[in-house]
Amino acid sequence: MDNNVVIQCENICFSYPNGVQAIQNVSLTISQGDYIAFVGQNGSGKTTLVKHFNGLLKPTRGKVLVFGEETTNKKVSYLSRKVGYVFQNPDDMLFCTSVIEEIAYGPRMLGMDPEEVKKKVENIIIELGLDEYRETHPFALSLGDRQRLAVACALSLDPQVFVFDEPTTGQDYFGSKSIMSLIDQLHQKGKTIVIITHDMPIVAEHAKRVVVMNKGQVALEGTPEEVFTQIDKLQSLSLKAPQVTMLARELGTQEKTILHIPEMVDWLTQTYLPAIKPAGGEIS
Amino acid sequence: MQTLVDFQHVSYSYSKTSTPAIEDVSFSIKAGEFIALIGPSGAGKSTLCYCFNGCIPQLFGGSMSGNLHIAGCDPFNDGIPILAQHVGLVVQNARTQLFNVTVIQEVAFGCENLGLPREEISQRVTQALEIVGLSGLEDREPTALSGGQQQRLAIACVLAMNPEILVLDEPTSELDPLGAEQVMKLIARLNREFGKTIVLVTHDMDFVAKYTNRVLLLHDHRLVKDDIPANIFSDFDLLSKARIRPPQVCEVAHELQTYGYPLNSIPITIDETLQVLRELHHG
Amino acid sequence: MMNVDLKARSSPLRVLDGRTKLIALAVIFVLVLLFSHPAYIIGLLAFVMIVWVVAKLPFQMLKDLMSYFLVIAIIILVVQIFFYPGTTNLIKISKPLPAIGFSGFITLEGIVFGIAMVLRLVVIMIVAPLMVMTTPLPELMLALVKLKVPYRFAFIMTTALSLLPSIQNRASIIQQAQLCRGISYDSGGNFINKLKASVSLMIPLILGAFRDSQTLEVAMNSRAFGAPTRRTFLLDSHFSTVDIIIIALSLLALIGGIALRIQGFGTY
Repeated sequence: MDNNVVIQCENICFSYPNGVQAIQNVSLTISQGDYIAFVGQNGSGKTTLVKHFNGLLKPTRGKVLVFGEETTNKKVSYLSRKVGYVFQNPDDMLFCTSVIEEIAYGPRMLGMDPEEVKKKVENIIIELGLDEYRETHPFALSLGDRQRLAVACALSLDPQVFVFDEPTTGQDYFGSKSIMSLIDQLHQKGKTIVIITHDMPIVAEHAKRVVVMNKGQVALEGTPEEVFTQIDKLQSLSLKAPQVTMLARELGTQEKTILHIPEMVDWLTQTYLPAIKPAGGEIS
Repeated sequence: MQTLVDFQHVSYSYSKTSTPAIEDVSFSIKAGEFIALIGPSGAGKSTLCYCFNGCIPQLFGGSMSGNLHIAGCDPFNDGIPILAQHVGLVVQNARTQLFNVTVIQEVAFGCENLGLPREEISQRVTQALEIVGLSGLEDREPTALSGGQQQRLAIACVLAMNPEILVLDEPTSELDPLGAEQVMKLIARLNREFGKTIVLVTHDMDFVAKYTNRVLLLHDHRLVKDDIPANIFSDFDLLSKARIRPPQVCEVAHELQTYGYPLNSIPITIDETLQVLRELHHG
Repeated sequence: MMNVDLKARSSPLRVLDGRTKLIALAVIFVLVLLFSHPAYIIGLLAFVMIVWVVAKLPFQMLKDLMSYFLVIAIIILVVQIFFYPGTTNLIKISKPLPAIGFSGFITLEGIVFGIAMVLRLVVIMIVAPLMVMTTPLPELMLALVKLKVPYRFAFIMTTALSLLPSIQNRASIIQQAQLCRGISYDSGGNFINKLKASVSLMIPLILGAFRDSQTLEVAMNSRAFGAPTRRTFLLDSHFSTVDIIIIALSLLALIGGIALRIQGFGTY
């Protein structure tokens, strides 16, 4: 087996107790250092699938392997040390009276050595920029800082893989940028990143791999370039490509896949408008 | 067109806070307008929304100054039940606004509170559900609906009270793309076909560019710009200060301008962009 | 409480008017408080269990409800056994401790009274869900209001019930989030850890409920809740013959019970 593989789904199916089948025959491999976004409508199975990665859900058929181990008999608290999961709403888990206590709680519960815990918390607090808030009550923090705190709590268990459930939903542009830059930071440090989202613009800007789910199955998969240029397929799934990608299609770009604003500007200035000289000078 | 809403130098602070949540806000709205209310988190948009139906100041307390008229009513003194018949307020999280066990009961709630006769309630409920596209789901539990359906249900609930004005505070930010599309289409229809005056708080600038006819930009508790979408999305200095990201085509056009290309205007939709590029080509 | 589903379901008792069921419920409450002899209360309990079967409600739920109640039942039993001022001394435990009201003996009356208390609570614990699971909340609301219960009070009751599933849902999400932090909710571990685990569930749950209630308040008011007009209801209800018979029987039972009590029956 490839040592680089961190999560492997082998032909898994999942049905809820009430009989609804949420996942049908999904096989998937996630490698070390991946930055992968799972997108799709609510009910497409994206969240259900990703909850298999840390044992919150166990497949009703097939196997899920995390770092080579089958998840079937493993507790979530055990798997959380390999795959951290950050839920959408930080207020769904904060309950201690200070930031330090909140971060230390998980490791303490798992019986880690108190000295170790102290050191770990120190490192995390500085790494995530929460140093000035160490004694602050979690609820006195802004939403953005509470999100950071939630990430800190997941980080305290030292997982290799991080799952973010809807990290930007409900936030303004600045809030989205802030959390995404934190996620990018983690990725640069070598962590494997999994995001569940329906915020297509941030998928186009940050993810290296996209999996589009529909009705419990993988409908589209590939790099953002590969996925987002299939505009019609996305539309049939009621998903939208970035505006520049749609503009590119209207303008008839065949050679390039345009996902980002700079790419569009480059293409316009170098290919589409070559005959026009800008006022007072040459085309750059 | 008659002026429906008039804010004059309105300021408000929540109780026990010293910084005002909104400060010296003045604007007026005419019947039938489709207004987008944009701005970064914490700018005061939700606060402003609550001023439309009297929840501020009546429900929240605090201190409010300035003059305010909504559809001929006085939000300081007229009871919220009166204002509720002129302004329908829908908030961000669909689920927390729904507390009845059937769809039909949820929509009927407002009419029941107003003491309307049974036949009229039934009529209004049927009509409201039809407009939002939820006919046939009368006996379903609201919690069993999808997010988009729940938000459309919330809209039906206020539509049943026949308000002229609808105020929607980020109705789609928690929804998936399909749900968001359903809700936004409905809102556009309510303005276009039913003549409702709409105030919509949203972060979806593509939608704002395409459907709304006026934008109020709130930043740091103040109304910093009140203009048509084209002028808002071409004011790049203000946009960057207010941390607002305009539609991507605007940024592309802005870049082209800095390269020296003579654009006639900053396009805010794909169609406008095609037009502008065509003009460049032939100009 | 976290997994009990109190939603109204299909049941033969659905044909009854909500008022009928409320009246019968009230009569059972009165009777169960009127009698303190375990035998009489067991009689009522048997009746209520028969109604449960007739209503076609699941047995599993009875077991679930009883299991939540078990700890409280034991506490009540123990308290009554030790502290009820009985006269027939059975077992001597220690010297009298007047400061805490302990006579030094376990009395027969104490045991009997303890059993009666527990049985009373069992009856109530069965009859309340019975009512709620056979009466959709709008019907329950209408019935309460027609019986002259103030609307606001009826609203609080029925809305608490209608919001229970969403609270259960949030509790489940919170538990999942805490599991991902290394907090464990299963029965392994000492009492302190279990207590801490409860806190990790309760605090986000309560704070979340508080926040949601503020949104709810805005939503309610935005739909004219509390308007000074006389409130009307979309739903309507009428008594059928069966309703009248059952109400009559309930009132007869009430009168009969009071008569028995006056004559000295029903106590130990």
